[in-house]
Amino acid sequence: MKYRVSALLPAGPALAMVCGLVIGPLLLLIRVSLYEPATGRGFYTPGTLSFTNYAAFADGYLLGIAGFTVGCGLAIATMVLLIAYPLGLFLSSLTARMQLIALGLILMPKTAGLLAMLFGLQRWLPRGVLATLIAEVYLVLPYAVIVIYAQLLNLDPTLRAAARGLGASSWQVFRRVTLPLSMPGMILAFQLGLMWGLGAFLGPLFLGRPNETTLAVELHRQAFEYGRWPLAATEAVGLLVLVTVAATGVPAVVQMRRVTRC
Amino acid sequence: MPSTGTNSPTAGTAPSCAATEAVRLERVSFAYGGQCVVNDVSLTIPTGAFVTILGPSGCGKTTLLRLIGGYLTPEHGQVFLQRSDVTAQPPQRRHVGMVFQNYALFPHLTVRQNVAFGLEVRGRAKASVRQQVDAVLDKVGLSPAERDRFPSQLSGGQQQRVALARALAFEPPVLLLDEPLASLDRHLREQVRLELCRIHRQSAVTTVMVTHDQEEALASSDIVGVMRAGQLLQVDSPRELYDRPRSQFVARFLGDANLIEATRLGLNQKGTVLIRPEQIRIGTEHPGRVIAVNFHGADLVAEVQCQDFVLKLRTRAISDLSVGDPIALDLPREHLWEIPDEDSL
Repeated sequence: MKYRVSALLPAGPALAMVCGLVIGPLLLLIRVSLYEPATGRGFYTPGTLSFTNYAAFADGYLLGIAGFTVGCGLAIATMVLLIAYPLGLFLSSLTARMQLIALGLILMPKTAGLLAMLFGLQRWLPRGVLATLIAEVYLVLPYAVIVIYAQLLNLDPTLRAAARGLGASSWQVFRRVTLPLSMPGMILAFQLGLMWGLGAFLGPLFLGRPNETTLAVELHRQAFEYGRWPLAATEAVGLLVLVTVAATGVPAVVQMRRVTRC
Repeated sequence: MPSTGTNSPTAGTAPSCAATEAVRLERVSFAYGGQCVVNDVSLTIPTGAFVTILGPSGCGKTTLLRLIGGYLTPEHGQVFLQRSDVTAQPPQRRHVGMVFQNYALFPHLTVRQNVAFGLEVRGRAKASVRQQVDAVLDKVGLSPAERDRFPSQLSGGQQQRVALARALAFEPPVLLLDEPLASLDRHLREQVRLELCRIHRQSAVTTVMVTHDQEEALASSDIVGVMRAGQLLQVDSPRELYDRPRSQFVARFLGDANLIEATRLGLNQKGTVLIRPEQIRIGTEHPGRVIAVNFHGADLVAEVQCQDFVLKLRTRAISDLSVGDPIALDLPREHLWEIPDEDSL
């Protein structure tokens, strides 16, 4: 027990931050979602406790937004995976020196001002779903590439050599060795893309059409344009549920498929 | 008897088994980043032989094995497998089985799937694959209970058997073993070595093994090639190498060696002579004093200071020798082997 406590010490500042800046505000958010909407002045009716805000999810409008958000998330995750995996493969095939240069180039757009970049895209692409997806993929792609690249770099090169020695063609080596062994990295990259996509805000805000709204944009609108805090908090809780499902559900589905196959 | 190339003391020896050669290297060289790792090596390996390339770490023996397997392409020279020039062919075209030092088992596949890999990529029918996989796993002695496990669920010895089964499953004419016993403990190593010899006898596959362990090489092989700094110094039968080394390096690398200047022994010849510690007899010829005694179970190894040279003597442990004891040694003439002074280390 003594060992466990001392082992936790280095993680202390991070744990304190999680408790103070994540769990605390989260509890507060849930509490706000349980207030009744304001009837006169203010943002909610103090002293009330009700689930009426959650009934809004049964409403077609909010359900449509939630559906669009999930669709966006899945599309972004798929696009990210389709672009990041070949890029990660290419990166891992370079010499150590070239890998450093290429990594720098991939990360460079992240150092540019986010708004400047979005403004540039706005000038370049017509508003719509495609522009939204491209912007969000553009934003999350470097992280996904790094995740996949790290996974591929960890693959024992003798495994591929062994496969070739056993008679496998380059395609067979990829399909039967590289691809299955890099699956953890692919799942993580997909999960990253999905969670990023579910929380998509800047892309739809700057590049989406008004009827192509995600939950994040909608809750921003409710909270800061209309002052409907309980509804905004309810939408935020809904968004958090979606992200949690994505974070835990993707590995669970993969695990289930593995067990079924065995 | 294999032949070795221009850098070797046995250069020019005609291969007596040319008609049945399994592997031939002709003046093969390879460099990593400008540093020559394999230097002008020629070697002919007869079909069905168990050949071991022996040498210290970094001498280029694994590189030589990879050149045979096609994992590396020589900068100079040619590689022949069954008399066909395969120098430019990649490993998947060479039909050579290889057991890697770390076994390189596919962690996401079961034992059966690992062993079936080489057959499946060749498009063999499922029923035939299953039959062949079971046959080869029987051959290496892996029990049916272990066949559906993943490599991570197996011991080092079991993993070694799977790697061997996988390399043998598609019936290659040549099997390459890269330090196959290096990661096993001493007891298991001897057991697996004996099994390797049994499997080699049964399958008659031409086997090329690399190792740095001289006992392993001498005990397992029909032919041993000793390598140093990218060069094959001598290729011979284990007996020849041990009794008649052509360089001081080979003499020292293959067990304990007494290397003495011939003139110090009162011999009317130049150069250095070799006599192994177990060939020295307790007698009258060279009086001296015991300066160290090491107990080795069945044997004792004693160091004896004789005039101006030290001799190492291996004798049965029943001998009663202690440090400081006076002793006289005989060096039987029939066991003295002259080695040229060149190449001394």
